[in-house]
Amino acid sequence: MSTAKAFVGLGVIVGTLGASALVLSGFFPLVGIMLGGFFGAAFALLTKARVKTPGAGLLWALAFMLLLWLAGAAGILPKFTSEKSMGMLDAARAHFPELIGYLLLFGAPLGLVLGAFATRQSSTQMKPFSLTRALVGGGLAGIVGGWAFGQWMEKAHFFPLIAGLVGSSSRGLGMTLHFIFAVIIGATFGLLFQRDVRGYGSSAGWGMAYGIFWWFLGPLTLMPLLQARRPDWSLSRGQELFGSLMGHIVYGLIVGVLYAALDKLWVGFFIESDPINRQPEGPGSRTLRSLGRGAIAGLIGGLVFWPQIVAVDGLHWIARLAGGTSSTLGLFVHLAISVVIGAGYGVLFERESPDWGAAIGWGMLYGITRWFVGTLTLFPIWLGASFTWTTAAAAAALPSLLGHLLYGAVTASVYLLLERRHRDWMRLDPRFAAYEARRQRPIGTPAPALWFFALSLGVLLPILLS
Amino acid sequence: MLFLRRGLPGLLSGAISGTLLAGALGELWLSLAAGAILGAAYSLALPRLPARPGVAADRAMTAAAFGLPMWGAINVIILPLFAGHSPQWTAEGMRALFAALVGWLLFGFALGLLTAGAVSLVEQLIGPAPAAPKTAPASPKTHIVILGGGFAGVTTAMNLEKEFRRDPSVAFTIVSETNALLFTPLLAEVAGSSLEPTHISTPLRGSFRRTAVVRAQVTGIDLAKQHVQLSGRDETLPYDHLVFALGAVSSQPPGGKMSEHPLDFKTLADAIRIRNHVIDTFDRADAEHDPTKRQALLTFVIAGGGFSGAELAGALNDFARGMLADYPDLPADELRIVLVHSRDRILPELSESLASYALERMRARGVTFELNARVASARPGAVTLKRDDTEFEIATGTLIWTAGAVPNPLLKELPVELDKRGAVLVDGTLRVKGHSGLWALGDCAVVPDAKTGKPCPPTAQFAIRQARTLAHNLRASITGRALKHFHFDALGTLCVVGHHTACAEINGFKFSGFFAWLLWRGIYLSKLPGLDRKVRVLSDWLIELFFPRDIVQTIESRSPPQKTAA
Repeated sequence: MSTAKAFVGLGVIVGTLGASALVLSGFFPLVGIMLGGFFGAAFALLTKARVKTPGAGLLWALAFMLLLWLAGAAGILPKFTSEKSMGMLDAARAHFPELIGYLLLFGAPLGLVLGAFATRQSSTQMKPFSLTRALVGGGLAGIVGGWAFGQWMEKAHFFPLIAGLVGSSSRGLGMTLHFIFAVIIGATFGLLFQRDVRGYGSSAGWGMAYGIFWWFLGPLTLMPLLQARRPDWSLSRGQELFGSLMGHIVYGLIVGVLYAALDKLWVGFFIESDPINRQPEGPGSRTLRSLGRGAIAGLIGGLVFWPQIVAVDGLHWIARLAGGTSSTLGLFVHLAISVVIGAGYGVLFERESPDWGAAIGWGMLYGITRWFVGTLTLFPIWLGASFTWTTAAAAAALPSLLGHLLYGAVTASVYLLLERRHRDWMRLDPRFAAYEARRQRPIGTPAPALWFFALSLGVLLPILLS
Repeated sequence: MLFLRRGLPGLLSGAISGTLLAGALGELWLSLAAGAILGAAYSLALPRLPARPGVAADRAMTAAAFGLPMWGAINVIILPLFAGHSPQWTAEGMRALFAALVGWLLFGFALGLLTAGAVSLVEQLIGPAPAAPKTAPASPKTHIVILGGGFAGVTTAMNLEKEFRRDPSVAFTIVSETNALLFTPLLAEVAGSSLEPTHISTPLRGSFRRTAVVRAQVTGIDLAKQHVQLSGRDETLPYDHLVFALGAVSSQPPGGKMSEHPLDFKTLADAIRIRNHVIDTFDRADAEHDPTKRQALLTFVIAGGGFSGAELAGALNDFARGMLADYPDLPADELRIVLVHSRDRILPELSESLASYALERMRARGVTFELNARVASARPGAVTLKRDDTEFEIATGTLIWTAGAVPNPLLKELPVELDKRGAVLVDGTLRVKGHSGLWALGDCAVVPDAKTGKPCPPTAQFAIRQARTLAHNLRASITGRALKHFHFDALGTLCVVGHHTACAEINGFKFSGFFAWLLWRGIYLSKLPGLDRKVRVLSDWLIELFFPRDIVQTIESRSPPQKTAA
């Protein structure tokens, strides 16, 4: 049997099994088993050229499952059932448990199994994989991410709950378990996504998506199971754990950035600094240029974001970050932050965008990250309050979410324009053109799936759960 | 044909997918129309990708992700504004528009998937789009050779690369005696041990993308055969256009007796030599017990009070006086830095007030001036100056010559029109008069300003702007378009004369002192070619804040200094 046929066949099998699990959970009618096989085959056919690793498979499958849920349980299906009298949001909320089921029982197994199969078939053609780097880098990154998440867990008195997994209520034990989980999840990040990690920014995006996935898998599913309880996938439980969702997102972002940083540090220190490997433009010059271009792009993004901030009367709030209240001060602070964040984009996302679509995708992802990390987390801390990862805080901050997406898209587009100008100049040298082609993110990575999954859930969950 | 291949499939796919927008836009006809328009625009805007497996999945997911900003722009902001309401970006507003969000996400996915499939189907039906004809790489038809690796030559080459980009029909070669572009405004800082020598030079080979770099001396030019002869090579270098960017060399001191003694101050090697000579001289002076001989050793004479001489005097003064801390046996009052100038004031390029300020500040820091005097002759151990009809001697072990520069003497061997200094005459478009295919700029040329008609001063800021005009004119000449005449209004001048002390005239505004010094450092740091060079120079200056200047001698003298009997 050819590899392609085997791949599709495996998709049918895993799809059928996943659908069976959904039937058993009550999320699918019996006929859904056949549909599951059909969907597994369709997924395999559509993505067989893209699912090359378990990590890629996981992301593609999660994205397709989210789409399936939007189209089916939350979207079209209620129109044809007794739920058609409900508003769509209410229908989506009512079918929130299906979302988790689709992701965990159908999507994750489908993507991981197909990805593992694909890896075995094509291991000789892929980038070399280093188990040590994956485990050590991911584990270390997981510790730091776990520390950040732990700040909220301490505030929300979550550690004794974690200790309950082993029949204790000790805070210390709970913290220890928390860090063990953080290390393990970080290490699995490295195992799953090492081949996809390029820049810090894209890796942060991968981390964010992985963090959201683990929110569904961890507190909503595994924790109750380990406590011999039935998982509670209800909307109300999701609302109660909104703070944990934020924590998982922040954890994922930190793991992503740190993992990429450790990876790149290794490469930079041991490989790029070796004079034998010298390139026409050294990492120092390249980074400084990226910072400069990003700063300019961020300033323009901030100017485009400005009217939206004025419209929601946000300048006075921003001015408080500098101890004032005037809108003029608020504008300066906003632009200063935009420049710094833009410079960060430049360093985090250099060479990630082969075209405008990719630039806007990464830019929006960066913008939404800025909303989670900045507006919901760092700004309250800066203003002397502690961060409140509650649905109410998210709802209050929702007006600025679109502005952040716009900021990110504009910043990324301007950055691409500036980066291309320099790249076109450098590419006049054929040696540099070849080097640059190797360094640029190629087409064929799970980036589109990541954009859809992370962006959609990043916007959907605050709306659904608020 | 583009519309048939991509626009039409996108339009149809968009119309079909548009049914999913009915909830978002209210009316079915509106959603179909919007879908069709967006579909056509999306399809036409897409980069053309080969029909590979997986492209459909990429396109579908990317388009689905784009549904989010479309929802934000249209449903949250634009439609409410059109209806006379405020944007619906509050939590309640977004919750009310949840259905529209789902519609847009699904629309995007369907659009991406259907468009990818439709475009692929069209290609199967009518055949793939014809590939761009591959032209065999042509051997260059036009060869531009630039003689000189200074500001003028390097900037010309860089601008030619920008003008012609990848055009394979034109090739560029730059011929330089050195392998790096020397940033001469910072040369005094090297002599004064403020900066590392290599940090103010930018390698030529790292500066260009497709200009060939030839390191050689030009030994002859055959204008008839259009060939350049180079040192150390049998083959000659052919050209179609030849650019003279040969710059200037130090003018010879008067009188044959002096030609062996002075130190030059033109190249990096000269600056390094001066620095090491100062250190070596201090060691010799430290071993010298005769006060007269010691004072002669500690007297440094600099001939020429222009920018080069004044900056060098200031830098050497700071360096030498700073070194005294490491030579406790040397009396500070025996150290003299003497600046000799033929006019009654130094720095003739600056206004009188700034020149006077510079002189007073330097005098206060210990520099001695001999104005209205010229160097008449020199012998080991002394320099003879002449003022009016009087000659007098200064006992010194060091004479540094900065008194003027002349255009490269190679030009005198060519049958081209020269001025009395030996600079080649060019017209306003930088073409050498009477010769097609010959161009000149910078210090070796007399370039008339298009507005004033006067010759441009031989400075780097003019050379750089001339280079841009020349590159434009070369391209215009090759492609048969109109040439530009050169014009540039000088931005100003800057001169540093000591620690935290400088003079500057910028666009008519005068600055002096610490602020001018900051300006001097900031402006020249920004103009220094190469980002890594900027970082290196900046780090040198930062280190200088905390540590004394280095007095390590890097070029050994022939014999160590001998202690003389007291």
